[in-house]
Amino acid sequence: MAAEADGHRDRCAIAGIGATDFSRRSGRSDLTLALQASMAALDDAGLTPADVDGIVRCDHDLVRHNDLAEGLGVRNLTFWGEVGPGGVAPCAMIGQAVGAIVSGQATTVLAYRSLNGRSGVRYGMAPLGTDHQLVGGAMSYDELFMPYGLLTAGQMFAFMAQRHMVEYGTTSEQLGHIAITCRARANANPSAQMHDRALSLDDYLAARMISSPLRLFDFCLETDGACAVVVTSTERALDGPKPPAVIRAVAQASGPNVQPGLMFPVLTRPSITEQPSALVAPLLYERAGLGPDEIDVAQLYDCFTITVLMQLEDYGFCKRGEGGPFAADGELDLGGSLPINTGGGHLSEGYIHGMNHVVEGVRQIRGESTSQVPGAETCLVTSAPPPGTSAMILRAA
Amino acid sequence: MSRAGKTQPGRLVPVQDDPVTGGFWEAARRRELAVCACRDCGSVLHMPRGRCRDCGSWNVGWRTLSGRGRLYSWTTVEHQVHPAYPTPYTLVLVEPEDAPTARLVGSLPGRPDLVAGQPMRVWFEKVAEGVLLPQWAPEAGARVSA
Repeated sequence: MAAEADGHRDRCAIAGIGATDFSRRSGRSDLTLALQASMAALDDAGLTPADVDGIVRCDHDLVRHNDLAEGLGVRNLTFWGEVGPGGVAPCAMIGQAVGAIVSGQATTVLAYRSLNGRSGVRYGMAPLGTDHQLVGGAMSYDELFMPYGLLTAGQMFAFMAQRHMVEYGTTSEQLGHIAITCRARANANPSAQMHDRALSLDDYLAARMISSPLRLFDFCLETDGACAVVVTSTERALDGPKPPAVIRAVAQASGPNVQPGLMFPVLTRPSITEQPSALVAPLLYERAGLGPDEIDVAQLYDCFTITVLMQLEDYGFCKRGEGGPFAADGELDLGGSLPINTGGGHLSEGYIHGMNHVVEGVRQIRGESTSQVPGAETCLVTSAPPPGTSAMILRAA
Repeated sequence: MSRAGKTQPGRLVPVQDDPVTGGFWEAARRRELAVCACRDCGSVLHMPRGRCRDCGSWNVGWRTLSGRGRLYSWTTVEHQVHPAYPTPYTLVLVEPEDAPTARLVGSLPGRPDLVAGQPMRVWFEKVAEGVLLPQWAPEAGARVSA
């Protein structure tokens, strides 16, 4: 299988990136945000909507591919696709774009994520239809969870954090190091929602408990905004105005216990402290011909601090159970062995459902980050772990 | 019990007539805890489903459990997100002793002291007319204080 494993290696690149401002109230529609990010990405790539023949979306996006195509004035779409659920999508969206380009179905693919995540649909809220007390059915399996008051992703990840503490002795202080590291990167990033707000470990520990053991700053932000990227062949990207971020490899993996339903059924997988990231990692490294020691910087999906901690173990940056000490030892800082989330991540830059991690990964490869890792040539970007996940490795041309 | 004219949301009530999960609620109405299982190879199928993922059999049904289990994980909810679920309350994730892969959720009032692995026992909470919710509480006399 080795001959096929590297079938797409280095063949495509991200030629353009775009982002709107990140705010609590954009005052614009999801489509306007998507159009702004997409036009910025096309401008950045030196391209126009007339060049676009492919679009990939996330299943949670309110903007459909045809909404975006019409709004941009795309003339001849020959490929469109969709990935999910939710935050699992971003790297897999890049994977679909790569697949379309390598197989000749498209030449220039836009991947986008747009949401009014604070002023519109808030993912951290419980379903509150006043007359709709009935929950579940329709293959959601929510009926087995929500009637107990298990209502949010944060409560689900709190179960994982508590179990990680039981199995490995992980501490709140260790989780806190992840929060304050991301905050320090946001403090250097003028576009980050938390740019002006310092966060110390004492602040972290003093913040109110939301769902134990997770406190306020273990949770990501809620954000209005959009990000978009342009994927094309590496050959073509090399002719563009900006240095391309070559897609070394991309991978998706679910594992044997993917679990049906929307979200909560993943609590019944054999372990809740090991994510499908542990399965995507060897596949990604094999396809890339690289290992964790060769990753210079990482943008790790951080809906919660515990999500980062588990991925440190799953992607092989430390041994199983040692994610806490690894974080507390400063390894995630700019001078550490694995600087992470250099724009601030979901915890402190903004929550664009994994897509701002893709944009920041490209900035690192270009040398354009506000927290640039000197000489960074490879960047791991990951998307949400449960259920199933996706990840990619970007490198300099 | 909701009074006529009130728009305040009540407790969330499970859909009980779903073709794959309905048996769970049917058993609960008899005050029994049941999990979906394959009648041919014996695999526990949780989430419930119509076909065995292990042996491929379509001969699946419901197996009554003892109602005893062990605490796997928990979280005390301090930030209220729904008016019918006042905080603090503690969500528990329990492995039934006779079907540990079928982890089930329960809720306890307040902030109890809990320890991983402690014995838990099922009980049935009436949340609406004809709806009994299988719940979990620390086994009486087996409480481990922190």
